[in-house]
Amino acid sequence: MTTTAYAARADTRSDAPLLSVRDLQVTFQRRGEEPFHAVDGVSFDVRPGQTVGLVGESGCGKSVTSLAIMGLLPRRGNRISGTVDFDGTDLLSLSDGQMRDRRGKDIAMVFQDPLSSLNPVVPVGIQVTEVLERHRGMNRKAAMPMAADLLKRVGIPDPDRRIKDYPHQMSGGMRQRALIAIALACAPRLLIADEPTTALDVTIQAQILALLKELVEDTGTALIMITHDLGVVAGLCDEVNVLYGGKIVERGPRHPIFRTPRHPYTNGLLGSIPRLDAAGERLTPIPGSVADNLPWDHACAFAPRCSQPIAVCTQTTPELETTGDRALRCHNPVEDPR
Amino acid sequence: MTTTGPHPTTSAGDEHDVLLTVEGVKVHFPIKQGVIFDKTIGYVYAVDGVDLQIRKGETYGLVGESGCGKSTLGRAILNLEHPTEGRVVFDGVDIASLKGEELRRKRQDLQMVFQDPLSSLDPRQSVESLLVEGMKAHGLAKDAKQARPRLRELLHAVGLPSTALNKYPHEFSGGQRQRIGIARALSVDPKLIVADEPVSALDVSVQAQVINLLGDLQDEFGLTYLVIAHDLAVVRHISDRIGVMYLGSIVEEAAAPDLYAEPLHPYTRALLSAVPIPDPEIEDSREQILLTGDLPSPSNPPTGCRFHTRCPWRQKTRCDDERPQLRVVEIGGIPADHKVACHWAEQIHSGQLQPHEVEAVSVDPTSFAADAGDHGTIIAETPGRATQSGDPGRGL
Repeated sequence: MTTTAYAARADTRSDAPLLSVRDLQVTFQRRGEEPFHAVDGVSFDVRPGQTVGLVGESGCGKSVTSLAIMGLLPRRGNRISGTVDFDGTDLLSLSDGQMRDRRGKDIAMVFQDPLSSLNPVVPVGIQVTEVLERHRGMNRKAAMPMAADLLKRVGIPDPDRRIKDYPHQMSGGMRQRALIAIALACAPRLLIADEPTTALDVTIQAQILALLKELVEDTGTALIMITHDLGVVAGLCDEVNVLYGGKIVERGPRHPIFRTPRHPYTNGLLGSIPRLDAAGERLTPIPGSVADNLPWDHACAFAPRCSQPIAVCTQTTPELETTGDRALRCHNPVEDPR
Repeated sequence: MTTTGPHPTTSAGDEHDVLLTVEGVKVHFPIKQGVIFDKTIGYVYAVDGVDLQIRKGETYGLVGESGCGKSTLGRAILNLEHPTEGRVVFDGVDIASLKGEELRRKRQDLQMVFQDPLSSLDPRQSVESLLVEGMKAHGLAKDAKQARPRLRELLHAVGLPSTALNKYPHEFSGGQRQRIGIARALSVDPKLIVADEPVSALDVSVQAQVINLLGDLQDEFGLTYLVIAHDLAVVRHISDRIGVMYLGSIVEEAAAPDLYAEPLHPYTRALLSAVPIPDPEIEDSREQILLTGDLPSPSNPPTGCRFHTRCPWRQKTRCDDERPQLRVVEIGGIPADHKVACHWAEQIHSGQLQPHEVEAVSVDPTSFAADAGDHGTIIAETPGRATQSGDPGRGL
């Protein structure tokens, strides 16, 4: 079974992109305040069966990107531009009603905090069947066994009993599994996981990551993995996009990007993580904080924190330049990583 | 210190220069229920019998998952949580037995750095007033003016400009706030600093700055640290010795390199193998020990070895009914200070015992063991206070 799944996956991977984000911009605008570019011209593709990582620290725009794709940003107070092409349709041009028909069916999302994304006063089973009722037109009675099946598939023991449980009766890992079951209910073609393991303990994180990996391999679902944890990315993603200040600064397949990071930010991130497999040598932190960023429109935002800035860094905006399967936005790339 | 507690230390600590000795500490939180009269219907066994020693100048790392009791133990050491049982001997004085003024004065020697710098700094106090408060309380300064040179020194030590004195916590970034929290702990010249998840609320790039800072300060002021964290990589990086906690007790204790080189307890093995490493090549090739199920509720801990419900090496005898004690194992190449609480550590290490499949037991976080004689599970209204400890936090 796994071999055929692998084969199917290899076939679909060469296909045209399933999701193609082009020049996505999200600007938050409050009256009397400077507009804030949370996402500033982000473009990337996701092919069927592929796992794409969006990595960066808080405030880099990774979550806003996913909310924009899902059409979950509020209408007021922000401006969204660019295109989000999902299988031939620009999701940004859809009406709320049309988007509701797709959300949960073609595209599903798993959020960071399972307790606040589950309804506390509705049993978990009903929250799974809701999706089936809405998109498949099933009635609750017929959907219940299917919901139990889904819970079983994501590794919840004793699903027939658990289906009646309320979210507070489940542990954190169990809730995250339930959330994944809800996301998978209609076999979506694209799953967006926004920091799905950040709120969990490491042993539970390992379980959830193994589950996601297995689901992607078995079903051929494309996965966008949003995380701050480079370790999670290293084990899971086919392609990695590193975001800084709302722009993609580096992109590449996971092996080369970890072996030879070219952007000083990627390199700096890798140097600042204490590693379990390395002895206690001194860490090389990235100096300063995001508050020191320069505006992208006439400089490289990362220049004030960069380990090797040159004069041009504070004068012109670097462009994202693609060579082969790597892309880089830097005036003075790292030649000798770490 | 001149205050002598009722229990002068008896442990043979002098040879190692022991600063802190924890002996059989238990912290049990009662679970109460009732409309008019609160009736205790069970306990959360947050910390259930912990012994440890911290030597002068070392960093002791306490690591474990949320709900294992590591934060409660940290608070019990500072007597912020009164231990139900056991002794905490600091520098010859049993802190657990101190009260009132004596305890307050003793607190000068033991300071804490909290996880969330924003909620542990009063938003309406300037940095100057935050730092001077502790110094005044302990008679190190009469007023802010007199303390000025010392304050500048402190800010310099933690890498903040002296202009920071007149600012308020909200004007700083997360990393800078944590520096203020560290400066406040340092202001009274403590001997021991308990840091509860000091970096878990920070971005990775800033996290490294604070980790380095803690190391520098230790060298400069000769501090002793107890660092409580869930992140094994961070703990490994800063600790000299590490204790691994599971459900209220320490299951393994060793020098940091030894623990990572040769983990002996099945839980430590699983924990170490679960940490993702930012290197695709290692990630692709290494074998993970995936634990099934969740941490059992600390209000209804399993009998015998606390870990037996999830242990892939569980045996038919002893594991279920006999609680293993922290002991030194006799295995070639394992140093004498490497202790483990597992009945079968030798056999697992030699490969004589092999791991097996474990059936996942579903855990209801709201269940707890009722008092003896009263069977059946009662759903508590609140899961108990102890569960607030050590959340993984946002990490970023």
